[in-house]
Amino acid sequence: MKILTTVKKVVDVELTIRVESGAIVEEGLQYVMNAWDENAVEASVQLKENNGAETTLVSIGGGDDNIQIIRRGYAMGIDNGVQVDDPLLAGADSFVLARVLQKVCEKGSYDLIITGKQAQDTDNGQTGIILAENLGIPCVSNVVAMDVIDDKHIKATRLGDGGKEIVEVTLPAVVTVSDSINEPRLPQMRGLMMAKKKKIDVMDLAALGTSLDEVGGKDIRSEIVEFSRSQARKAGKKYEGDAAQITAQVVDLLVNEAKVL
Amino acid sequence: MAKVLVIADIKRGEVKRSTAELLAKARSIGAETAVVAIGNNLEALIPGLVSAGSESQYVADDLGLELFSAAPYASCIVDAANQFGADQIWFASTESGKAVAPRVAARLGVACATDITDVTSTGDNIEITRPAIANKVIQRVKINSEKLVAVVRAGAFEMTAEGAGGSEKVIRLAAPPADLGAVVKELIADASGDIDLGDAAIVVSVGRGVKDQKGIDLVKALADDLGAGFGTSRAMVDSGLMGHNKQVGQTGKIVAPKLYIAVGISGAIQHLSGMTGSQVIVAVNNDPEAPIFNVADYGIVGDLFEVVPILRQQIKNIKK
Repeated sequence: MKILTTVKKVVDVELTIRVESGAIVEEGLQYVMNAWDENAVEASVQLKENNGAETTLVSIGGGDDNIQIIRRGYAMGIDNGVQVDDPLLAGADSFVLARVLQKVCEKGSYDLIITGKQAQDTDNGQTGIILAENLGIPCVSNVVAMDVIDDKHIKATRLGDGGKEIVEVTLPAVVTVSDSINEPRLPQMRGLMMAKKKKIDVMDLAALGTSLDEVGGKDIRSEIVEFSRSQARKAGKKYEGDAAQITAQVVDLLVNEAKVL
Repeated sequence: MAKVLVIADIKRGEVKRSTAELLAKARSIGAETAVVAIGNNLEALIPGLVSAGSESQYVADDLGLELFSAAPYASCIVDAANQFGADQIWFASTESGKAVAPRVAARLGVACATDITDVTSTGDNIEITRPAIANKVIQRVKINSEKLVAVVRAGAFEMTAEGAGGSEKVIRLAAPPADLGAVVKELIADASGDIDLGDAAIVVSVGRGVKDQKGIDLVKALADDLGAGFGTSRAMVDSGLMGHNKQVGQTGKIVAPKLYIAVGISGAIQHLSGMTGSQVIVAVNNDPEAPIFNVADYGIVGDLFEVVPILRQQIKNIKK
């Protein structure tokens, strides 16, 4: 089985994000692998360990941070890494990214494509699903468990609105994973050392055999025009002391001040 | 006049409130509205779809649509959108909506925006706003395509009195072919007695502070007293104490109830981004430094095992 996992570089959401003049201030930001993509990497490495698979990772974007993220994937057990690095893709939306990934998929003939269900920076949750539409193959999103049935079929458990949906999927297919699917392993020092020596296949759109026009990059369907800071909720009042007394006080406020009880 | 197609949010044979909220918003911006309902045995729901505020109802009613499957559901919506001539297609923030919206946009060749909190259209220009980076920023996004597919964040649009009441005009949709590449074999349904987190006016959530099942039961009793939805934090799901479907947060459900009571939840950013849209937040935690207090309107610093029984008693007293 050949598995492709997509990983995205995202800002570390734990850190403070500053916004000035409608844009996010780059200074002081740190970048990490999207948390859900770590789950996707873990899922593909587990499939490799348990069922035998050749695992490839693809990341779109440039910079040293992106190299580090691919190396992290190697240290977790991924076999091959592809980096699509092209400055033309700076303003790409989900549809453009999905077209780029489609080109990567068409080059490699993968049986299974695993993506995180969304990225921590945009929270869009679209690219994997659009990729499947483009490729004309099945897609199961928000997957919390996955088992191989045979070379051509997997069983994916999806968390739906009414409960868990058990889906039998014919490969090739795209699966987008929830963070509930596994606990991503921490790369060990030895793995990280080895990862430094591994080759990364870097290519731009031309090397990928495509162009900005072909991936829809000249006709993007949506673009962010402005960022602003979310209005942070203000901390209210904290009540400390005798449990019975403060609880009564809060209940009274919920009834008479907030009027929600 | 713009035409807005709303995807009916149907769960356990009921049209959910979010459907009326989306239709009310559509009417408030002067749009012509239609709703599309997909499932099996939908006949009885039609009056509810009308009273939710739709002017026409596209109905795909077929045994083969009983269980959710993204590809055929997307086909039904594309069919309805084309027949209606929809300019905008709105989904409530459900797992099925999130799975289907990008497919519909891909098939129609239009933009897709998820988790939106507002949409404005002036002339041919459509703009949306949405939170991103775990709610830390708000994006204003310009839509370049003529049409838009959008998933609306829970609680973003309000139901209005003017929005209620539509007119009946039912259009039947042909059943699409099943997705043979992704066959839903089984649905392991959530316990039927549970109150839907997305619908609940009050949500009570438990975090690691409850320690074990006994602690969970204690807080669940409070939720039951209040007729509240019962949620949790990621840590509780990871430890196996609570089910995935109960998780509130960036990766779980996003809720915006009238009252949110967080018990024993420290308040990781991941959890906060799923509940800070709540109208009033109460936190119970023994750590006065817990980040949950930064977003709580009323913070009770104390041992939850002591506070929760008192809370229950106090609430019982006022309900008398």
